[in-house]
Amino acid sequence: MKSKLVLIILGVASPLVALGLWWSVSETSTNSFFPPLSQIMTRFSDLWLFEHFQSDVLVSMGNLFAGFLIGGLLGIVIGFVLAMVPLLRWMCEPTIHFFRGIPPVALIPIVITLIGFGSEMRIANIALAAFFPTLIAAMDGIRGIDGSLKDVCSVYRLTPTERITRVYLPAAGPQIFSGLQVSLQVSFVVMIASEMLGSSQGIGAMTLLAQQSFMSADMWAGILLLGVIGFLVNIGFEAIKSRVLSWHLGSKRLERAA
Amino acid sequence: MSSLLTDSTTISTTRPGSEEPLSTTTTIPRLEVQGLAKSYGSGAAAAHIIGDLTFSISAGEVVCIVGPSGVGKTTLLKCLAGLHPSTGGNIKIDGKEISGPPAEMALVFQDYSRSLMPWLNVRKNLELPLRHLKLRAAELEERCSTALNAVGLAGAEHKYPWQLSGGMQQRVAIARALAYRPEILIMDEPFASVDAQTRFELEDLCLKIREDFGMTILLVTHDIDEAVYLSDRIVAIGSKPARVLEVIDVDLPGPREQIETRALAEFAQLRTRTLSLIRQEQA
Amino acid sequence: MTASSSVINNRIPAGVLVLPKSVSRRVQAAWGIVGALIMLGIWQVVAMAQVFGTAVPTVVATFAELLSLLGTSAFWSEVGITVLISLAGLTFSAVLGILLGILIGTSPVIRALSLAIFEFLKPIPPIVILPLAVMVLGPTWPMAFVLVAFGCSLAIVMQTASGVQDTDPVALSTARSYGMKALEIKTRIVLPSASPYIGTAMRVAAPTALVITVVAGLLGGAPGLGKSIYQAQAAGNTDTLFALVTVLGLLGLVFHAVSTWTEAKALHWHPSHREVSL
Ligand SMILES: Nc1ncnc2c1ncn2[C@@H]1O[C@H](COP(=O)(O)OP(=O)(O)O)[C@@H](O)[C@H]1O
Ligand SMILES: [Mg+2]
Repeated sequence: MKSKLVLIILGVASPLVALGLWWSVSETSTNSFFPPLSQIMTRFSDLWLFEHFQSDVLVSMGNLFAGFLIGGLLGIVIGFVLAMVPLLRWMCEPTIHFFRGIPPVALIPIVITLIGFGSEMRIANIALAAFFPTLIAAMDGIRGIDGSLKDVCSVYRLTPTERITRVYLPAAGPQIFSGLQVSLQVSFVVMIASEMLGSSQGIGAMTLLAQQSFMSADMWAGILLLGVIGFLVNIGFEAIKSRVLSWHLGSKRLERAA
Repeated sequence: MSSLLTDSTTISTTRPGSEEPLSTTTTIPRLEVQGLAKSYGSGAAAAHIIGDLTFSISAGEVVCIVGPSGVGKTTLLKCLAGLHPSTGGNIKIDGKEISGPPAEMALVFQDYSRSLMPWLNVRKNLELPLRHLKLRAAELEERCSTALNAVGLAGAEHKYPWQLSGGMQQRVAIARALAYRPEILIMDEPFASVDAQTRFELEDLCLKIREDFGMTILLVTHDIDEAVYLSDRIVAIGSKPARVLEVIDVDLPGPREQIETRALAEFAQLRTRTLSLIRQEQA
Repeated sequence: MTASSSVINNRIPAGVLVLPKSVSRRVQAAWGIVGALIMLGIWQVVAMAQVFGTAVPTVVATFAELLSLLGTSAFWSEVGITVLISLAGLTFSAVLGILLGILIGTSPVIRALSLAIFEFLKPIPPIVILPLAVMVLGPTWPMAFVLVAFGCSLAIVMQTASGVQDTDPVALSTARSYGMKALEIKTRIVLPSASPYIGTAMRVAAPTALVITVVAGLLGGAPGLGKSIYQAQAAGNTDTLFALVTVLGLLGLVFHAVSTWTEAKALHWHPSHREVSL
């Protein structure tokens, strides 16, 4: 018991100590790469909470969610169709696997040459990146549905809509969610990358610009913000996932306990 | 209990007098299987599972199908439930040939743990097949609670299937079938994986369902004692490919009772007869 | 579950469309080729109709460019350096990750100390620290290497640690009762039992390493295919751009296939290997 308490205290204290160390050690730093943390924090609040909140932070986040939702939804729908229609699946599978091999970031230059540097380009890129992981997961998830469940649907004469919404989607839910989680992570990367590649707007663009103009405190503020966003977005997703999939997590926990 | 009884009176109109033995040539059988054949795959790779199977079941009967493991009992039930197209012969309900899953039938699967939806709680599992029937809320409620009471799971409505023991899950699967109020209930080795005590309870439940809901029940078992105890008739099936060895009439007195019925001399005789049929077949 | 039911049900997924296996494989592959040809056809038509102006080169032009690239040594050195950076970063991550993972997995104190920091860093992709890496290291291969290491090692650390914690306590106490030394226990009991976790982490990390190397080239100017793609785009050289992205797609497939194959080969003996997932 006592040792457990000690471990918890250690767990909570370690990040605080790390931050404190960073703060105090960097306070007198004259190294241009590693400015004092206090200065970074000042720039952080100036930049992100005030000057650029609307023009960049909101824009980036909006693009991220728009692209992720479009790509994820398309992935689920098309994954569903491909899982149900074998012929179509056979025809598309090699192409899908080829596209999944391409790092999504490498598609950005192509999309830029196609539709330019605007906001649509960024959303399109994010959607494209989000599409494939969810597509493949949804396809596998639905194909992997237990035949007994399909038999139950037939015996009790469920309507096609009921089958899709009440059986197939929830049954494939765990896989779809892990696909969506990968999609979200890739979307985040592509959001940053599409801003860094020739755009003057967004957190990624601001951070790269700061680096190129050797404003290292601004750059650190950007890195910090992106890190926090990456962390929070993931936490938010986990929260939604554990709500929606509570049945699955519960049954897994029980299985492991047994 | 009283709700069960009133309930049976409303339904039993579909069931011709259960007092008389139901084997007259004049009535059309409830379920009729004629020359049924089924193979998986085609061409040279085809596996002929069911050869030429003929039997029939009258309304209100309990019929058990017994046969060695792997003979094709599950396959037969899946054909009856319209899940697999047969490759020969036909299946008729009230004289009409079936095409696809019949509305008046429910099937309790052998593998109960994989036939319940793990994302739905017990109550929602029961409601799932009822949604498209567009029942009034009161009737939905009544059907679900009656079914859960009948299987002794009244308190478990809000549990998830994976929180229940195997026997309880099987009872949920049976309750789902009951709430659906089928006229013909088909069960595939429903009591195979529960402990002996629960098994006796579920067997008696099965007989009670017949009384209360007026259902025609067809069930597969590999337990000869169970078959004799439950059945009005036993259909013994032999293998490669599956065919009817013999239909045995079980005229034990009713109502049946676990201890007394099993102690009867006729029980032992029927048991011996069925067992030797199956043993001969396997040898 | 009864023995008979599980046997039957494992063998044949009931209700699933049952097709004769040998035929369907070939038929499927044939349809796959048909599908791929249709996609190529659509690409060709879109390019020739100039739906996007001259931004999309034709299939023919792309493959002609690809062929001519294959003949240049510059191209092969780009491919080589991309693969090298990825593999170097991956190897470094593996060594670091496994060592740290064992340390964290066996010592509750170190685990408690590092957990919060790792949990914070885990969802943060390496592109976030790319500006810092470029600022400190410049557009060089060490910059790319650092990014790959940052991006791959964390997952390996975490997976190894959970693998170590999952070691069968009976095996551990047996080993102790036979008087094995701590180091021997770690190498003979703990490491093998954590290996399926490590295998999964490595399989996921390998394609990731390639992606990060490309990102480092594309955005940070590190040498390799990423940089070439950036240059092709900046110069408006769409033939080369499309050819290079095609190459990357193929390279990605190779990384994926090799890592999956290696994992299956290396861990086929392990019964739990299929159950482990990230
Ligand atoms: N979908 C299927 N495809 C091919 N063979 C099957 C399929 N389902 C069952 N079988 C085979 O049919 C035979 C009978 O199976 P089954 O009906 O499950 O037997 P039982 O229920 O009597 O134990 C078994 O040999 C089994 O391998
Ligand atoms: Mg069976």
